[in-house]
Amino acid sequence: MKLRLVIVVANAAGWLSRITKKGSGVMVTGRIILKLVPSAVQTLSKSRKVILISGTNGKTTTTSLIYHALSSQGPVVSNFTGANLFAGIAAALSKNQAAPVAVLEVDEMVIPWAMKQTNPRLIVLLNLGRDQLDRLSEVRVVAQKWKVALATAQAHCAVLADSDDPFVTWAAQDCVNVIWFTSGAVGHIDASTCPECGKVLEWNTHLTSYSCTCGFKKPNPEWILRDGELTGPNNQKVGVQSGIPGAAALGNAARAIVAAKAFGVPIDKAASEIAKVLSVDGRFGSLKIGRTNFRLLLSKNPASWRETLATSAQGPKAVALVVNANTQDGKDTSWLWDVDFSPLANRTVIATGERRLDLSARLTVAGIKHEVCADEGAAAKVFGAVDADIIASYTAFHRLSKQVKPS
Amino acid sequence: MTLTLVHLLPELLGTYGDRGNVEIASWRLKQRGIAHEVITVHAGDRVPVSADLYFLGGGEDDAQVAAREILERDGAMRKVINNGGHIFAVCAGFQLLGASFPASGDRTIIGLGILPVDTFAATPRSVGELLSESTIGIGMLTGFENHAGQTGYLDEIQPLGNVISGVGNAQASTVDGVVTDQVVATYMHGPAFSRNPDLADWVLARKVGELKPLAAPIFTQLHQERVANIK
Repeated sequence: MKLRLVIVVANAAGWLSRITKKGSGVMVTGRIILKLVPSAVQTLSKSRKVILISGTNGKTTTTSLIYHALSSQGPVVSNFTGANLFAGIAAALSKNQAAPVAVLEVDEMVIPWAMKQTNPRLIVLLNLGRDQLDRLSEVRVVAQKWKVALATAQAHCAVLADSDDPFVTWAAQDCVNVIWFTSGAVGHIDASTCPECGKVLEWNTHLTSYSCTCGFKKPNPEWILRDGELTGPNNQKVGVQSGIPGAAALGNAARAIVAAKAFGVPIDKAASEIAKVLSVDGRFGSLKIGRTNFRLLLSKNPASWRETLATSAQGPKAVALVVNANTQDGKDTSWLWDVDFSPLANRTVIATGERRLDLSARLTVAGIKHEVCADEGAAAKVFGAVDADIIASYTAFHRLSKQVKPS
Repeated sequence: MTLTLVHLLPELLGTYGDRGNVEIASWRLKQRGIAHEVITVHAGDRVPVSADLYFLGGGEDDAQVAAREILERDGAMRKVINNGGHIFAVCAGFQLLGASFPASGDRTIIGLGILPVDTFAATPRSVGELLSESTIGIGMLTGFENHAGQTGYLDEIQPLGNVISGVGNAQASTVDGVVTDQVVATYMHGPAFSRNPDLADWVLARKVGELKPLAAPIFTQLHQERVANIK
């Protein structure tokens, strides 16, 4: 009874915060719930089947895709706007308590807590790479936290883990019930040493497999995504299509199909529901600034920049890059030098954002011709009436995503 | 004779964008028409011992230990110093040139013994903007530090900078880095040569002699903006 009352009050406060334009209201709701009933997440998870999704890149997209696939079967709650810390999770679970399924995006560092609180049936682990080194610490510290938490997972909790990623593999390999997945991803910029013993990790020539003299190696995947086709145990097959552009999105669509199947959705049905999703929380949404029609893309760390630059290269010639260095972006911009910006050659490039000078220095040395603009309004004046991509780091992305036209 | 820059073990010591220092050094030489080559040494390669300027970057614990093993083999880095080579080292690269450094599991790893410094573990990590006044007459130095290790001097040596804001070598000290005849070391990522063009030229000039001025306003602007941002 007490929790129910708290939820009503907290959601009313969230609503108030939203209509007074203080914020989305999600954080307010979640904070009030956890403050007044610290065990709320545990209670709200009890009668539900919970899926947790985590990893450096692709969390929000994968969560949304799984949500859409499962929604075809019945009501689902989810935090698919990316509020993936304690309060965001509590707020999501406080909605529609009749919904028997919860699909929750979880920050990498919050996985141990979320596992304890929600007793999940499925954990989807995407990848681990360098990201916000000033906040999240080094990759193997995160992997170690996961490994300790995952060792406690019981047989009723399946772990869908990416075998292409040595850190994910290492963290998940002791689980009782693990489902290995591969999308044929190549190499890993942070996995030069073995997560198990610290020796130099051996990669094959195509960088599709790895092993170490200590015995650590890439496991055999059960689910394989190759050339747009997903193959699983007993030779079950389904074509994978993504309405969201890029190779990473296709991999996330395939993972979402496997996750939905574990929750009873036939793979053909899951695949068709997932293919309908065109944009997630502003990603690849469109917005008009001045006379320029922008398509908005998110990039937040070297791995996601690599992916986004490749995807954007198939798009319009004009591209603006927005780099900030607030807490949520990571305050250290050194990572700019770990990104290969050569896919920008021969495009019309504008550097902007609070750290445009760091970006401009990087592009100068990379030999990428560009202009520096104070903000995206100035960039739009330079571009004029054309289509352009705007690739933004985290805080800039969230500011701009508020202007995205509903599709 | 062509100048040779050596980028050491980027996959092990390349967590914090320090590869930028090599790229910037090469770019600044190229803009001035100074012939040079860049050799990248990977984990399985032999370390060339008679090149001119070597670059070591920051990295994670295990990678730092693996890097130390490779650089120690056949006394390679000791030979580099004996042959008159120069080294620019950042963070983990700085630490492994010293007497010892900490690693995961409470281990202490013997360093390469090239610098009279020693590093021990401490919490919390030192993370944030680092601003110092250089001891080599090039004004302010700006970078971003992120390290658990605390480094102390075992001998009287010259720091690279006197810290104005941030931590530098250790919580208990007021200096960042080291300057010796052949080595410049620092905790500044950023990368250091991007935010501090005068430092890049100072390190290069020690090897190639006096450099012509280079008009590259973006680096000067970036330097001024970063310094003003902290002050």
